[in-house]
Amino acid sequence: MNKILTVCPYCGCGCGLYLHVENGKIVGVSPSRSHPVNRGSLCVKGWNAYEFVAHPDRLKYPMIRHNGELKRSTWNEALTLVAARLDEIKRKHGPDSIGILSSAKCTNEENYLMMKFARAVLGTNNIDHCARLCHSSTVGGLATAFGSGAMTNSISEITDAKVLFVIGSNTTEQHPIIGMHMLEAVDRGATLIVADPRRTKIAEFAHIHLRQKSGTDVALLMGIMNSIVNEGLVDTDFVRRRTENFDTFEEVLRRYSPDVVEGITGVKANDIRRVARIYAMEKRSMLFYAMGITQHITGVDNVRACANLVMLTGHIGLPMSGLNPLRGQNNVQGACDMGGLPNVYSGYQTVTDPRARKKFEMAWRRKLPERPGLTLMDMMEKAYDGSLKAMYIMGENPLISDPDLNHVKEALERLEFLVVQDIFPNETSEYADVILPASSYAEKDGTFTNTERRVQLLRKAIEPIGESKPDWEIICELSNSMGYEMNYRGTYEIMEEIALLTPSYGGILHHRLQEGFGLQWPCHDINHSGTPYLHRKKFARGLGTFITVDFVPPDEPPDSEYPFMLTTGRIYFRYHTATMCRRTAVLEREEPESFVEINPDDAERLGIKNRSMVKVSSRRGEIELKAYVTNRTPEGIVFIPFHFREAAANILTNPATDPAAKIPEYKVCAVRIESLAKPKKVRRIPSVDLEALRIT
Amino acid sequence: MKNELILDKNNLSYWLRQIRKNRELIGPLMNDGNDIVFKSVDRIHELVLDCPASLPSPKEFIFPQYEPMLRMRQASNVKRQEITDLSDETKRVIFGVRSCDISALGLLDKFYLEGHKDPYYAERRRNTLFISIVCNDPAPTCFCIGLGTGPYLEKGFDIQITDLGDRYFVQIGSPEGAKTVKAMSFLFRRPQKTDYEDQYEVFLSSKARFHKRINLKGIRQMILEEKVKDDFWQWVAGRCFECGGCVYDCPLCTCFTVTDREYPYGIERIRLWDACMFKGFTRMAGGVLPNEAMVKRTKRWYYHKLIHYPEKLGGFGCVGCGRCTITCPGKIDMASIATKLKGLAISEEEK
Ligand code: SF4
Ligand code: SF4
Ligand code: SF4
Repeated sequence: MNKILTVCPYCGCGCGLYLHVENGKIVGVSPSRSHPVNRGSLCVKGWNAYEFVAHPDRLKYPMIRHNGELKRSTWNEALTLVAARLDEIKRKHGPDSIGILSSAKCTNEENYLMMKFARAVLGTNNIDHCARLCHSSTVGGLATAFGSGAMTNSISEITDAKVLFVIGSNTTEQHPIIGMHMLEAVDRGATLIVADPRRTKIAEFAHIHLRQKSGTDVALLMGIMNSIVNEGLVDTDFVRRRTENFDTFEEVLRRYSPDVVEGITGVKANDIRRVARIYAMEKRSMLFYAMGITQHITGVDNVRACANLVMLTGHIGLPMSGLNPLRGQNNVQGACDMGGLPNVYSGYQTVTDPRARKKFEMAWRRKLPERPGLTLMDMMEKAYDGSLKAMYIMGENPLISDPDLNHVKEALERLEFLVVQDIFPNETSEYADVILPASSYAEKDGTFTNTERRVQLLRKAIEPIGESKPDWEIICELSNSMGYEMNYRGTYEIMEEIALLTPSYGGILHHRLQEGFGLQWPCHDINHSGTPYLHRKKFARGLGTFITVDFVPPDEPPDSEYPFMLTTGRIYFRYHTATMCRRTAVLEREEPESFVEINPDDAERLGIKNRSMVKVSSRRGEIELKAYVTNRTPEGIVFIPFHFREAAANILTNPATDPAAKIPEYKVCAVRIESLAKPKKVRRIPSVDLEALRIT
Repeated sequence: MKNELILDKNNLSYWLRQIRKNRELIGPLMNDGNDIVFKSVDRIHELVLDCPASLPSPKEFIFPQYEPMLRMRQASNVKRQEITDLSDETKRVIFGVRSCDISALGLLDKFYLEGHKDPYYAERRRNTLFISIVCNDPAPTCFCIGLGTGPYLEKGFDIQITDLGDRYFVQIGSPEGAKTVKAMSFLFRRPQKTDYEDQYEVFLSSKARFHKRINLKGIRQMILEEKVKDDFWQWVAGRCFECGGCVYDCPLCTCFTVTDREYPYGIERIRLWDACMFKGFTRMAGGVLPNEAMVKRTKRWYYHKLIHYPEKLGGFGCVGCGRCTITCPGKIDMASIATKLKGLAISEEEK
């Protein structure tokens, strides 16, 4: 038996694990003890990350649609067809009639190649990926405020922090191993503040739990900052030396006294003052946030408000002190770093900057498009109205993950040509014209970047299953058949090219990642040992900027017709669109069906019993699922996990987006709930002597 | 031939090389990330013997995480299923395991082989030889000493070796062990008085190095006398991350699930590690979850190990290997809970 050190393919914690290999098959997983993130632990998904790899459902050969039916083909046929069709559409309708979705599940090398393929081979900036749906507000919001949009601290610093302020993150369920560090910090005496409308597990450990109304985060954060200013807890030195634009911001801030904020958020003014004091007065204060902040039409403003809070108190640029967006997917950080976005190349060098473009044009020897491309949401819109003709989707499943699914379905149907490249058939591949089978994480090399910017080596444990190929090889072959040479001996050569063109990855090369547990970017050159925390001495952009924000209510507040607020999210045993975890026996068994969490008072009013069927409808569609009556969810709000195709929450969600980041408002929309339980037939049950039945 | 022998350290690799001719040699090796893991040994000189207990425990070689059991196939012209047994018959030797794990095997054997006999376990068990090593320097997480399951054993092992600096003190405890040694008897010599003295010295100094002394009997008593209150178990449950790590890693946990997978060449039935820490583990027909409340599950784990195990199998369901201490993200592992309960008991008395 061999044991290969690699990286967990599920969440952004990036735990180190061993894949156990026997006779070319994967037979188990175990945690790495010395890994700085997981230290011998794994969550249930990590422990079970071996099983799906050899699942019989794996896509094993390419398929082409003939007369409406997908049929097995050879690689040659499939790639020739894709090349010819893309070429034709490009010639007929221009390069911008093609859209590409890259993948936060694929390696850095693959994302880099995908964006090179889009820009150099197809000649379009229409490339995006699911970061649009989770942290595009972070990437945009923090880039303008600090100059770099990533977690500023390291995970291993958490245990030594004194105050942890967690807003809009269900950490113990979605980033379990980060949750573990937080719990340890609490054990060591740290104060934990959680702001979340739901009583999540992490909230149970909190010293203070603020239950703001969904979609009022800007107001809440402004209220906290207002009291920090009023109580004289501002780090004036820091504000003067390291930031700019404070005065304009302060003008607006004055309007948000805790009492005003109480009216908006429902959080007691006194609690706001308490949190302000606790957070501001301790230097080792770490602020964490996740989807609860980003997935709103005010996502970017939420992020900016967080950035303002850390600058106001000077809690940034030090170990155990900073602003920490928790990235969801195993490599969503990397996919963004690699430029799988419509407006930037790798390392966030913008496509509109002539110098950056020149550099890439020289390296790639092609003229590159100048205008930023379409975002994921825009691509769907354009596909719907017919101006986007073809899409190439790698390792994503928009038919579960995007908002307003009925609309997305129609958009995909209207495409002239759709290529899906994945490891399993999924909801999206049902609409594909060509399916290209990709290899899973266990069958290839490359690197993943976790949420703390740690670039880690993924090591190949077994040979590709069936005829599947690693995504990077597929892209290379496709590019070659389209007349643009892409030849690499291995992923390490791709990484060399990345290092050459990307300043923050300048010193990150595979041979340096071989020993130990990777390097944290920025790592500028071969002698640089990585950066555990960002913005030391100065912000990446020089001075930090206070950007003025103002509270805007959610796009679709509840009304008399749709009186409930729906918030969506994830659950511990499932992962995203569930392509992997529903093919894992233990994970599938734990949560086999969807549910809607509803407060007992609301349930009683509507006559809904625990576990009874209900219908949830919004202006966009309706789904039927079981009710789960619980105090975790406050009155007036219901929660549905988005993983289940049988009752896809995203049929209901609102596609309204943040104007800057184009992130949809998954966290708030208005819904109506009706009980579906049929009135019970009264049946007489013969009385039984229970004592007599008791088995001893 | 006597059952106690001396092996010069220079001869160890030769001996192992000979054993490897008939068996797959598994041992502790340093991996890329400075972790020590048990895997097939290529270069014998790379074995790392002064390592702590491995993650997961060596039970993975006789009760593996993923085990194909059988394959069913519709035979072409016959109207019946053709069934192929897939149980693993590889002969293995696991070198460098610790005493606690050998003690655990004794109880696992009772569980899997007495009464209803598990053929897959039996087959692997029969084909696996364990060479265990006495712990000179127990890890801070270990507490076998209070349970009599380590750091060295009097019986129950195949072969036990003690590191005496330049040589190993070799003890034979089973016929299979004897065979392995006898085949290469020229490598060994009779122990002398100083060898015995040195061995005892190792035992003594090892015992003195334990960080943890944990009395599970006392904890069992506390539970039996209902001194452990419900709010304590609630507190424990509140900290559980439902990762299953404690069960997966523990040398004495036996939970598994069985599932079928349909491949083009037939249906394969596999069994996989499972954990009683999951609510679905006891899911009943109709979807009822009798153990939906977390507290029932964490509590049951402790009851099983401390109350039911001794009653049914004659020993605690814990050998003090300390693996759950390493792996539990909620820090509600056996050692932490026992320490906590002891603390509660003391403060109770002081009241
Ligand atoms: S916490 Fe995330 S990275 Fe770690 S094992 Fe769980 S899913 Fe994998
Ligand atoms: S309960 Fe913990 S310490 Fe005891 S044998 Fe199991 S893993 Fe080891
Ligand atoms: S290891 Fe700890 S957290 Fe994980 S299931 Fe066991 S008791 Fe719960």
